[in-house]
Amino acid sequence: MLYKKKWPALLFVLPGLLFLLIFLYLPFLENIRNSLYNMKAVVELPGSAWKFIGLKNYRRLLWDPDLRTAIGNTLKMMALTVVFEVGFAFVLAVLVSNVKRLQQAFRTVYFFPVVISATAIGLMFKLFYNYNGGMLNQLLNAVGKEPVNWLSPARAFGMVAVPILWSYIGFYFVILLTGLSDISEDIYEAASIDGCGRGRQVFYITLPMMKPVFATCVTLAVTGALKVFDLPWVIVPNGAPQGLTHFLGTYMYQQTFGLNDYDYGSALAFMIVVMGVVAAGVVGFFTREREV
Amino acid sequence: MKNKLLSLLCVSTMAVSLFTGCGSGQAAGGRETADQDGGKQEPEENTGGKESQEQALVTLKTVSMFGGTDPNAEAYQTINEELMAENDYITIEDNSQTSDEDWKAAVAADFSVGNEPDVLQFFTDATADSIVATDKLVSVEEIRAEYPAYAQDTLEAALAASANTDGVSRAVPTTGYWEGLYCNKDLFDKYNIELPTDWTSLETAIRTFQENDIIPIAVSLNNVPHYWIEFLMLYTAGEEGYTSIPKTAPAEWVKALELFKTLRDMGAFPEDTDTVDDAYAGQLFRDKKAAMQLDGSWYAGQIEDMEGTVVIAFPGVPDQQADAASMIGGVSSGFYITRKAWEDPDKRDAAVKFVMAHTSQAGVQRYWEATGAVAQAATQVNPVDGATPFAESIAAYTSSASLMVAPTDARIGDAYKTLVAQIVKVSTGAMTAEEAIDLALEKYAEQYGE
Repeated sequence: MLYKKKWPALLFVLPGLLFLLIFLYLPFLENIRNSLYNMKAVVELPGSAWKFIGLKNYRRLLWDPDLRTAIGNTLKMMALTVVFEVGFAFVLAVLVSNVKRLQQAFRTVYFFPVVISATAIGLMFKLFYNYNGGMLNQLLNAVGKEPVNWLSPARAFGMVAVPILWSYIGFYFVILLTGLSDISEDIYEAASIDGCGRGRQVFYITLPMMKPVFATCVTLAVTGALKVFDLPWVIVPNGAPQGLTHFLGTYMYQQTFGLNDYDYGSALAFMIVVMGVVAAGVVGFFTREREV
Repeated sequence: MKNKLLSLLCVSTMAVSLFTGCGSGQAAGGRETADQDGGKQEPEENTGGKESQEQALVTLKTVSMFGGTDPNAEAYQTINEELMAENDYITIEDNSQTSDEDWKAAVAADFSVGNEPDVLQFFTDATADSIVATDKLVSVEEIRAEYPAYAQDTLEAALAASANTDGVSRAVPTTGYWEGLYCNKDLFDKYNIELPTDWTSLETAIRTFQENDIIPIAVSLNNVPHYWIEFLMLYTAGEEGYTSIPKTAPAEWVKALELFKTLRDMGAFPEDTDTVDDAYAGQLFRDKKAAMQLDGSWYAGQIEDMEGTVVIAFPGVPDQQADAASMIGGVSSGFYITRKAWEDPDKRDAAVKFVMAHTSQAGVQRYWEATGAVAQAATQVNPVDGATPFAESIAAYTSSASLMVAPTDARIGDAYKTLVAQIVKVSTGAMTAEEAIDLALEKYAEQYGE
């Protein structure tokens, strides 16, 4: 028992709790309620009562083809973030941890995209991809090639995924590099004396000892993929072309604020929360330390 | 002791900072509000209604979409300042912003919690339906019963056009709008093409421009295909079919939207029309990379080449039902007085004065000139000197219109957005026009409980 009086602790916790209650839990419950009504406007105005429609919006979730595309893209993005963001960040972290000089400079360079606003990155890539006078087509033009529609239905998802993955590699790089620095040099030295080469050290020492850090990174990457919104919205708004680049976040936003379908947007928001909880649980299950 | 003094100092600083926000507020123009002063002053003039005796200081809460980058913003503020200078008992607390979905939601939220403004400048079409349903807006007829001079400069046709969807006039408009086909005439001259006057000449123009690596029509199907939807539907279905609200997709509407695929297959649109935004499409037109752009009167302000750009009537569609030179346009916004202000004896007169200042001939002339003197004015306006060929073409187009009809969203409200969102799919054949229209009509039925 650290403190006899509990009320000072409660007093300090109370503002935070109230804040969460008012701005997170109550709106969340309100959102669930809204998804069960036919909302005619964003607020219920006198003279236009909302009609109770039960689970109609949830049934619609099952048959919505654009939602299927959005879920598919989100799942693909989850896999891509694990492989390319965490994977590539790990390769970079291992390489940089072995560099004696300019390590700080490498850290700064790789982390830099994380601090740039997603809107700025989105606009930059939008200018790269422009069909008329975009940077990539200017380069093609310079070598005598025909311009390419970089955001055509066949290419759009890949073109949107590239900046999303690129912009967050630095985030995982820093986490993994910090994890690497926690592994004692003595272990590597002992392995070297026993004749273990650099490559084998990565597989037999680094990877096993980094497991908790990987678990954190994978959880962040998977749940982060559920929140992808700003970059695709800037590069290809409304899931262009033909809704093929919709993610859960962009689809929910389009339905709610683009088409003013507030009740369906509320159902989508609730589904995203459920998916987030499930995804975090699944990742937690696979990355949990098991007793032998 | 030192610590206690420090604590006392911290607490008193915090208390002072908390109570600072509760001090006397300064309204627009830096004058103290009536409530704080409590004094009474004589009004300088009357509004043509009741004789005013001792006039209490009045603070009018106003909301409009003439804020931010809106071209009307400057004229709006100037009229407000002049009104306050002429009537020193009136203070205007204005909260204007450019119109977007957030702003519309904020207005609706204010009405829902009883925090509506005294005067509101807002839409008059189906967008206003939910606010009209609150019965918190006063009709022009009711106001005129007490103030016969109310909206006296406004043309009756403009007042009728700005009636709400239930047919009741509540708003007094300033300017209206039109939609038309902007053409880079210099490109037409360069490639020896006639400005299109029917579907056949439109096809010829599209083919010729395409052969010469000029984008025939600048449009973003993903962002703003609205104007094309409107004109294709109006010309294919005719006025009656176009203005009806059917239960299921009518054959004419389907035929109209199928023309998106026809035009796309002809190569009429930019290669990246599915992904670019409207601003980019507009830039293609202004940079002379595209020959034509269907847009509204609000786009005229962005045109720099006043010599080589003209506005003409929509050329037409195969087997069209509408008369040539039929136009999409009308009046979609105006100034409302809320019941809250109307039932407040102190505010009623000030609110009427406010609306009359903005909607009088002098006020409308300012708004009309601020938007390039090309919009439809709700009162008589004096023409500006030195009209460019561009302005002349607009005058010729608008004066020769055989019909002016409001766009579909004025009738079906938010359900229209569902249709707009499907146009890329319709143009590529990924969805049929019938499916897209049915989706929108289904949404309309849900929204209006039909």
